[in-house]
Amino acid sequence: MKDWNYRLAEQRGLILAIAVFTAMFAFYIAKHPAGLTANVATTAANKGVLLALVGMAQTIPVVTSGLDLSVGMVFVLANCVASKIMTGSPLATAFGALAVLAVGILCGAINGAVVVYGRLQPIIATLATGTIYYGLALALRPAPGGDINTDFADAVSGSLPGGIPASLVLLVGVVAVVWIPYRRSVLGRAAYAVGSSEQAAYMSGVPIATAKFLAYVLAGLFAAIAGLLLTCITYSGEASAAIGGSYTLNSIAAVVIGGTSLFGGSGGAIGSIFGAFVLRTIGDLLFVFDMDALWQPLFLGAVLLVAVSLGSFRLLRIKNRLELYR
Amino acid sequence: MTCTVAKNWALRLAGALSLACGISFAAAAAGPEVVSGPGVDPGCFKPWDAGTKFFKAAKKNGPYRIALANGFIGNTWRIQMIKTAKAYADQPEVKAQLKEFKVVSTGEDLAAQIAAADNFINSGYDAVIVNALNPAAFAPVVKRANAAGVAILSFDNVIESNDAVIVNVDQIELGRLAARWLLKKIPGSAGKLLEVRGPSGNSVDRDRHNGFHEVLNGSGKKFEVVEVVGKWDDGTAQKVTADAIAVHKKFDGIYTQGGSTGTVRALIDAGHPFIPVSGETENGFRKLCALHAEKGLHCSSGGTGPAQVAVTIKAAIAALQGNPIPQSVALPVSYVEYPNIKQGEDFYPDLSDNFFVGNSFPGCKIGFSATEIMGKSEANQ
Repeated sequence: MKDWNYRLAEQRGLILAIAVFTAMFAFYIAKHPAGLTANVATTAANKGVLLALVGMAQTIPVVTSGLDLSVGMVFVLANCVASKIMTGSPLATAFGALAVLAVGILCGAINGAVVVYGRLQPIIATLATGTIYYGLALALRPAPGGDINTDFADAVSGSLPGGIPASLVLLVGVVAVVWIPYRRSVLGRAAYAVGSSEQAAYMSGVPIATAKFLAYVLAGLFAAIAGLLLTCITYSGEASAAIGGSYTLNSIAAVVIGGTSLFGGSGGAIGSIFGAFVLRTIGDLLFVFDMDALWQPLFLGAVLLVAVSLGSFRLLRIKNRLELYR
Repeated sequence: MTCTVAKNWALRLAGALSLACGISFAAAAAGPEVVSGPGVDPGCFKPWDAGTKFFKAAKKNGPYRIALANGFIGNTWRIQMIKTAKAYADQPEVKAQLKEFKVVSTGEDLAAQIAAADNFINSGYDAVIVNALNPAAFAPVVKRANAAGVAILSFDNVIESNDAVIVNVDQIELGRLAARWLLKKIPGSAGKLLEVRGPSGNSVDRDRHNGFHEVLNGSGKKFEVVEVVGKWDDGTAQKVTADAIAVHKKFDGIYTQGGSTGTVRALIDAGHPFIPVSGETENGFRKLCALHAEKGLHCSSGGTGPAQVAVTIKAAIAALQGNPIPQSVALPVSYVEYPNIKQGEDFYPDLSDNFFVGNSFPGCKIGFSATEIMGKSEANQ
């Protein structure tokens, strides 16, 4: 019983994010003129999964008490690379997709190397590398465009029989194949150990450097998968600084709403997925509410503030506030 | 060890992806029937060129549900565009045709604009109008709209597609007009020009830029062009113009794509001698040009009025009524140059600087008084 309580407390952030998302999405669907059809689900899923993947990318560096300000730019770079090479026969397309993932891993590895071996502050280091990645994207695609395998793109951004959005299946696949094995591996646990107390982790012989390095590599990989999905949704690539910047900021918001502490050592990617879904549903509410255009940012900000504050309700339940600082 | 683990994951992921690739469900694109011209109301819906095809969709009975999926909203052009759209939808003869006219602005997130257009298609709107964030990214949306029998139209920043109706101003020609005028006004055959560009990656920015340089390069004269990005916004344009003047000291002429009032203010604030300026159609820009014309601030002013949204709505209604309309509609350009810029006609001293003049399309019987437009809120309806 005690164990059950502990586990529940550990996942409180995640459960809250799921609850908020479920309530908001149910409200959105109830107000939607078409209801929950396969197309409505696919439209919502494509938009949500895109941010969920970037949110997952952000989560792992945050768990190690770092931050990756380049996730949005890796996302944009992957989009531009994919719009160049994800074309031709199914085999060529598959190789193109793999090459895009490799680009993401490489970007992540550079971030990891700069942070771990270059010993720079993650925020500054990734701000700089992110600008480099954006520069590469712009060089690759000065104007939006691209020619990609549309069958592949439709398959990834369409819906499967039974109306299940393919992008959602992709997300579940990424969680099952990458996130869960990573979370259970020694290096995954090491990332949490590093995030909660680097000194204690060091004294316990945790492979600190490798854990941090891998965190940034995985961030690059997840951001590149998101870039791949964006390419499938748009059939094209665009080096847009606005998109890169907004996904980076929204990924941090998704991480926080999902119950991961920005101080590191707790939370997880599943929470960030629901955090991203919450963010996207807030945006969708504009579609069903008739909102004045000039009030929309204010509305979004207010709902966001409420969503983030839900995480600190813990304050109300604790008898002695000093316990928070232990 | 790390490396092997990563590779292993990559391989498994590739497996999952190729599985997804194997199951393909591309919807068959139907779309409107392609017919030969002439189309309905040729005085308004002028085909782009002789090769333009005509679309004829199955007739639907009104009144219609029409939606506008706008992206970027952060400048006065877009705000006036939305106000104009609502003013037009409220004109009695248009209102009778419309059951609902809904506007959503999604900001600069491309995925959100695509989702907004998809949401309108999913919700069974009869026509969806798009002012696209990116000309290349809407091919899948066009495909879904045509499959669902929804009329899809774009204007201003158009969707580059042969399967959707586009309402187009000859943006390249606007760039050319600016270059020709500057070449005519600047004595000598060499010098330095300032080009204040729009948001990067945008088709309007690209086309105007290309037209401008095409004429300059073809003139045989040697002009160095300094490019800055003013984002069609007075504040941004004013700042980047001031920076450029601080760095380069002297220019012989300016082409500003938008935010023209800001560009000219920066010129005045810097104490730069007055030079020819070719700009957009903002009221404030023309006011400043008229005020300083005697001191040598000579201007040309050309652009694409926000009222083109009304022509697009009119085209949507015509298409839904089963009339043949050109796939690519050519709009007239609104253009005046010094010394023909007249008060009360080409600019209004008592109206706001931000108002875009040139909102009437007589060929379409579309015209708005300034108060009719400014009386509408930017609210989404």
